[in-house]
Amino acid sequence: MKLYKKEGNILQILSFPNETVEKGDYLLVEDAEAGKGLVVQVIDVQFASVPGVLEELLRSLPDGGEVIQGEDFDPLEIAPHIAYIQDASLVICKIRATVENGSLSPSSSWLPSRSQSTIRKLTIPTLLKLANVDGKLPIVLGGTKDSSLLTIDASLLDGRLNIITGKKETGKSHLSKLLMANLVGFKATVVVFDLNGEYSGLGVTSDGKRNAYYDKTHVLTPSQNFKVALKQLNLHVLLGILIHALHLPGTSAREFRRIWQTLKEKDKLTLHELGETIPLWQCNQHVRDALFSRYHSLINSGFFTDNSAEATLLEDCLFRAKEHGGAVIVNLRNTSTIDRQIVVEYVLGKLVEMLTNWKLKATFLFAEEAHLYLRETYWDDIVTRMRHFGIFTTFITNQPDTIRENIYRQADNIFLFNFTNEHDLDVVSRAARVDAETVRSIARDLPPHYCLTLGKVVKDFPMVVKIRALDIKTMGETRLFFNDSN
Amino acid sequence: MNSAYFRPQSIALRPRREPCIVAAVDTSSIKIGETPTGMLVAVRGANVWKENKDYRYSRLGPFIFHITEENKRDVYTMLQRAYFGSSYDGSHMNFPNIMQMPMRIAGLLERWLQTMLSKSVSKGLILFDGSLTSGTGDTSIQLMKEILATARKKENVVLAFSKMTSLRLNGRLITDVLPKIRPPYLLEMSGVRTKPPILLLGDIYVARFSKEKYAFRLDIDRETPYHQQLAAAERLLWNESLSQSYPETLRLAHILCTFTANEVIAMQHFAVRRYGHQIINRPDMHRVLFGPFGKGEIYS
Repeated sequence: MKLYKKEGNILQILSFPNETVEKGDYLLVEDAEAGKGLVVQVIDVQFASVPGVLEELLRSLPDGGEVIQGEDFDPLEIAPHIAYIQDASLVICKIRATVENGSLSPSSSWLPSRSQSTIRKLTIPTLLKLANVDGKLPIVLGGTKDSSLLTIDASLLDGRLNIITGKKETGKSHLSKLLMANLVGFKATVVVFDLNGEYSGLGVTSDGKRNAYYDKTHVLTPSQNFKVALKQLNLHVLLGILIHALHLPGTSAREFRRIWQTLKEKDKLTLHELGETIPLWQCNQHVRDALFSRYHSLINSGFFTDNSAEATLLEDCLFRAKEHGGAVIVNLRNTSTIDRQIVVEYVLGKLVEMLTNWKLKATFLFAEEAHLYLRETYWDDIVTRMRHFGIFTTFITNQPDTIRENIYRQADNIFLFNFTNEHDLDVVSRAARVDAETVRSIARDLPPHYCLTLGKVVKDFPMVVKIRALDIKTMGETRLFFNDSN
Repeated sequence: MNSAYFRPQSIALRPRREPCIVAAVDTSSIKIGETPTGMLVAVRGANVWKENKDYRYSRLGPFIFHITEENKRDVYTMLQRAYFGSSYDGSHMNFPNIMQMPMRIAGLLERWLQTMLSKSVSKGLILFDGSLTSGTGDTSIQLMKEILATARKKENVVLAFSKMTSLRLNGRLITDVLPKIRPPYLLEMSGVRTKPPILLLGDIYVARFSKEKYAFRLDIDRETPYHQQLAAAERLLWNESLSQSYPETLRLAHILCTFTANEVIAMQHFAVRRYGHQIINRPDMHRVLFGPFGKGEIYS
């Protein structure tokens, strides 16, 4: 390989056919005289602009588009040399760092010698060692192209905002399960908004046996094993549900507050009493109607109950998880949009309440397709206010444009699977921790289950990894028409 | 040519439906670099033939030579002996400037390829690139006569197409003087005289085979009877694709042997790697002295 050109932080390297370089590979451009080297990452491999190639191609197709048949007598065997030159490639690289005396710095302000520099592949283990990507809480994400393992430090997910994105069936949920399982293994509390019921098999192996996470996995299905009694609720949590999920106007909310206080004073905080009180409450007829319609929405959700034995204490699950680590999976499958919002409002409200009171230390929240249940104002809340309370969110989506741009800008880690759509790539490339060229070029060619890992977990050295298999029962599979002979 | 009162006779042609092989030869040479003692030269040749509507080719080379002032005579005579078993005119030849050696070596290869075609094709049309003028520095009369005789023995007709000509008629290039008749046709240029040692081995025509306003000097073997010369042109019309009045077989032969820029780079790579030649990049003095007004050196 030969150094050809440098423009900004893009380096162009001439590579010959016997030197296999692929997108995502790291190279070290060493200038022995300067005593330092550039760590660069391949973001594209193009044909070198060799003069005369067009003529060569045209010459091979002169007979009305069909290849002309013939024999070549090439006694000096020049043809392999011609092929060697024609197949030369131009490797476009992004400068990631400068290595000097064994330590890395983000500088790219110097120019290595074009004639004297040597270029060689930098293996991922060597780079990880240089970048000090290790830690006390290792999570093995999977294997890199050079058959080494990519291990990240779980502490670099702590207090961070993460995004897992990629098109359908590329392995996003698989990665989120892997991260969750490892976090639970490190005694972390994990809450999952499970839109498709995919995570409920976390505690079971693929052949149906219990695994190490079985006792730490708590699957809560709203209106089935996850119900709430009004007595367990704080007024502000219920008001949050009424205002944000059920869009109760401010005036009506004020009346509701008064009804709530009255019932609480009488120790009659039940759905039944609430239903009896609203129609008789002295207030404007429209307010009364508004309150009554919301009351029916609460009833119809099936999420609320007056039977204390039926009511599941989210707090209990979270406390158990706090002790030994655990995953509270809120199964939102088969839940209507409104009911989903009610449940999410409740869970988030409860989490904030517990974190505010220091009943919980911190929680890792995994939110799949959050745009389907997260209200507008929560996006900013999650990345600013809730983060300070200790809710560290990982968004998982196959529609990157449903996540706001400011979320990308503030994301600390991005796990990017394959995208072919330009628009999707554009959206993701707005992330602050990565350059657009890297995202566009590498993500487009990622095979399924390969993930471009960006951000703090890899010390800002984008790395492609094949996510390792996880022996967990697959749940939430898509129902198919043709998968059964019946 | 005594041109003052000369009027070329036009001969209308009609495609003659007699299937036959059309074969063509062309060679190419290029200087691939300078060394401290001389220069590296590459030559390549191609035979292309059309039979039953299919084109096939046989390409020889590239052959790379390191030519120096000291070895140029030895290389040339060695090649002559290798190709033809004897030296036709090498021992008497006034060896030219080293810069002309690529053309000379390519000329030898071309004559050998022509010999091979004239021996292997029968009852066909053999197309040469250039004219049938002989006795110039790089074309031996004896060798050319032998090639044509061999071709005739196998009932072939040799037709040579010149892309450029310096022959003029009434002050104008012969290929520019086109009568207002419908192509295809030949203009017979009888009366062309040359001074010794140059000898014309073909009868000269101007050929216009298609509607496009392109015409070429066409030399047809002089020893071929006149009516067979015309019949050969008419057979060519039937058997060959003649876009822009130029035979496709000859065009392909040219395309196949011409060197492209990446091949030159590859040959430089070969010469350096295999034989350790040191290629010198001499500054282009035109560019150095005249900057943007320097057109660069041109080697023919």
